[in-house]
Amino acid sequence: MSRLSDSYRYWFLVLPALTIMIVFYIWPLLGIWQISLTEPKAGIENYTRMFDSNAVTTSFILTFRIAIKTTIGCLILGYIVAYVISNFARRAKPLMIALVLLPFWVSVLIRSFSWIVLLGRSGIVNDTLIGAGVIDSPLRLMHNEFGVVLAMIHVMLPFAVLPMMANMRGISGAYVDAARGLGASEFTAFRKVYFPQTMPGVMSGALLVFVLSLGFYITPALLGGGRVLMISEYITYQIQEFLNWGLGSALSVALLVATAIVILIAARFVNLRSALLERGS
Amino acid sequence: MNDFNDTTDHEAKADLIEIAAYKYKEGRLTRRGFLSVMAALGVLPALGSKAMAQAKEIVVVNWGGRASEVLQEVLCDTYTAETGIPVIVDGSGPSGGKIRAMVESGAVVWDLCDSGMGTALILTEQGMIQPIDYSIVDKDKVLPAAVYENAVGNYVYSYVLAANPKLLGGNVPQNWEDVWNVKDFPGMRTFRKSVRGMLESATMAQGVPMAEVYDALGTDDGIKAAIDKFRQLRENIIVWGSGSSSQNLFLQEEVAIGNIWSTRAHLLKDQMDEGTFTASFDGGVLAPGVWVVPKNNPAGSEEVMKFIAHGQNPELQVKWLEMIGSGPANPQAAALVPPELQKWNPSSPENLATQIFYNDEWYAKNQIAAEEMYIDALIN
Amino acid sequence: MKTSGFRIFFMTGAWMVLAFLLLPILVVVPVSLTDTSYIGLPKEGLSLQHYAAYFQDPRWLSATWASIWIGGVVALCATVLGTAFAIGCWFLSDRASTVARWILITPILVPPVVQSLGFYRFWVTLGLIDTNFGVILAHTLLALPYVSISVFAALANLDRRIPQAARSLGASVWQTVRAVVLPAAMPGMVTGGIFAFIVSFDEIVGVLFITVRNVSTLPKKIWEGIQEDIDPTIASVATMLVMLTLVVTAITIWRGRTNA
Repeated sequence: MSRLSDSYRYWFLVLPALTIMIVFYIWPLLGIWQISLTEPKAGIENYTRMFDSNAVTTSFILTFRIAIKTTIGCLILGYIVAYVISNFARRAKPLMIALVLLPFWVSVLIRSFSWIVLLGRSGIVNDTLIGAGVIDSPLRLMHNEFGVVLAMIHVMLPFAVLPMMANMRGISGAYVDAARGLGASEFTAFRKVYFPQTMPGVMSGALLVFVLSLGFYITPALLGGGRVLMISEYITYQIQEFLNWGLGSALSVALLVATAIVILIAARFVNLRSALLERGS
Repeated sequence: MNDFNDTTDHEAKADLIEIAAYKYKEGRLTRRGFLSVMAALGVLPALGSKAMAQAKEIVVVNWGGRASEVLQEVLCDTYTAETGIPVIVDGSGPSGGKIRAMVESGAVVWDLCDSGMGTALILTEQGMIQPIDYSIVDKDKVLPAAVYENAVGNYVYSYVLAANPKLLGGNVPQNWEDVWNVKDFPGMRTFRKSVRGMLESATMAQGVPMAEVYDALGTDDGIKAAIDKFRQLRENIIVWGSGSSSQNLFLQEEVAIGNIWSTRAHLLKDQMDEGTFTASFDGGVLAPGVWVVPKNNPAGSEEVMKFIAHGQNPELQVKWLEMIGSGPANPQAAALVPPELQKWNPSSPENLATQIFYNDEWYAKNQIAAEEMYIDALIN
Repeated sequence: MKTSGFRIFFMTGAWMVLAFLLLPILVVVPVSLTDTSYIGLPKEGLSLQHYAAYFQDPRWLSATWASIWIGGVVALCATVLGTAFAIGCWFLSDRASTVARWILITPILVPPVVQSLGFYRFWVTLGLIDTNFGVILAHTLLALPYVSISVFAALANLDRRIPQAARSLGASVWQTVRAVVLPAAMPGMVTGGIFAFIVSFDEIVGVLFITVRNVSTLPKKIWEGIQEDIDPTIASVATMLVMLTLVVTAITIWRGRTNA
């Protein structure tokens, strides 16, 4: 009956999952650190190469830039949807939620494929515009930053909407009503009373989208044409083309550190616990 | 394992696997043939014991897929028919690392490996491969540039200038200078994601004559100049990472011009509509695949050399060209190539005259540094 | 319902964004029915040739089956392990268990390429490259966070005093869990299990690194298809998957409506 022996039993439940996570996931990640310091020779050579390399710097800047653009796009578009679903929609609400969940559950690969079909030189958008006489020669919508950002916003949007919706659900309409009752216009009530209350949700969504965008591989690899080289693709490139595990690992470590820094900075604005540990579906 | 940098162009070989998949879909490879290729890929574990048990048997290793099937049919089965000695194809990919591991451990199960000069150079240095016995293998039956002490050319492929006349309004670039001329030849171009086979074209685009390309690239300035050419062109470039993506870019009409493998051009000539595809070996880069023989191979040196000599048969090499698009390494084979395939043969006399030979030594020295600058030029 | 400018702005905006979310995905439908042999909208009429191509190709079918059964095994393993984990942590609710929970969700935060590199090197050592087990193990790890979050969310509604009461009445830990906790966790387990299946079914980056030739999953086949032979068969696969997702989404929303 002692609490202590109960603890052991509870840890017994916890340990299997925890053990395999540590052994087969965390340990290999630490192995990457090790590789970055030991291949091809022991030392920090990979890191010096990395910091000296123009290409790496460019790739990091590009990655952050795209992540920022994607986050801003997702926040603006996502906020509108989350707001309407939480406040204006009545009968349409389930439908609207379904329209957010559906793309969320369709795989990234398929969503990226859809964008390839749409944005290619002889893709559907170009064909339609040319057919309608709007343009003469095809627009370059793909294999460039525009196409990548557009597709990434599409892919990441649900990740922005869902936390914001969860947050808005908890906001009582009483404050806004009170403000309106005191004579404020709809817009002012929104701006001064409602919007600030949604900040935690916005921050959660922003964090999630930004972190996911930093490390993203599939969409930029498929739509970037090899010139929009985000860090994940750069790493893959070093490993698969040149078997350069040393540099690839060093870059991975750098990416992990960058991600960790972003999360730690965000911790000042976001309640990480509720954002990450207790996210519902 | 990786204390050396292997600059062999393995992708060109692995590329043949994808060509196989494509041919299967097209119905040019039977299901049985495809399944036997799959079997060939899974053969090694069983093969290990088998090869060591039977002395009189040759194990030839390449990169799998259609190429394995072609190798089996064209070279191996014919050899068996002539000599009665069974020859098996293993498609698991004879990388330098694997060969080295085998020889060092003493458990060599491979007799003959389809490799590249980059790997061969390293393996020679490490003492892992045998010298080619040119009393059995005929030096005259190989392109002079593909005769080495410890390796000999087995087939060739090229980097060619491909274009889509339809997208260019009939105005097709004639040389690499034209390719860099975006004003007169507008449209997107495709180049490889890696410098391999690419810097030569950038050098020629500056007006450097073919014979002097590697001299020019031998200096830091020369390399920088070539890289800068890519920087200039980059807004018009989509890179190809695999043979099939280079093929796709043309099929999807995403590019009008490209520097691609001749094996892919070989497929595109049939896939693209009439008048929408041309490929030229002018200013092309010819690269050989080579046979290497691991030391202490199970079947013994003499037998393997005889097999290599068998593979030099010009008729067999022409068959190889027809089936999979890689060119013969034997200069005598050019005369036997059917007329409609002549211009697609990388080693025909006409095409040989307009190409330079891929310089593996240059790549062994310079590739790593050049790659870095190349990516930088493309993405910055 | 007042129709102020404010409302109109937001309402139209929202519908436009939702259209933006939905329509690109739907583009695969007409393309899958194209009568041409290359990707594009149908020219003269609709054709089922690309669906036929899918059903007649043993490689597409075996890849699909592989993804399904691997996904099933992953869902099972992840649900069992993840539920036990979440229940244990829920009981403990101390610092150590919070640390454990943070460890369990790392797969969500680590970039896919980085974790795949980790898998690759370790899997080579373990001899798990290009094996089904190797894929199942990797996918289970990636699915665990979702199961644990899901179950934990479900348990948030469970009053702690109930299992406490059961214990003080003499029930063993196991009996308590079975009788009181598991039923409460069940919705979370179901959601988590479904998530685990989807995570495994759609996973691509890890598979690209840890499989070579023997193991082929549906996402891998799609990826290779896009790189290699970008033909409308991919669109028909995509359409079928989208339709499936549509049905599942509709069912979920429907159940949500009738329950609410």
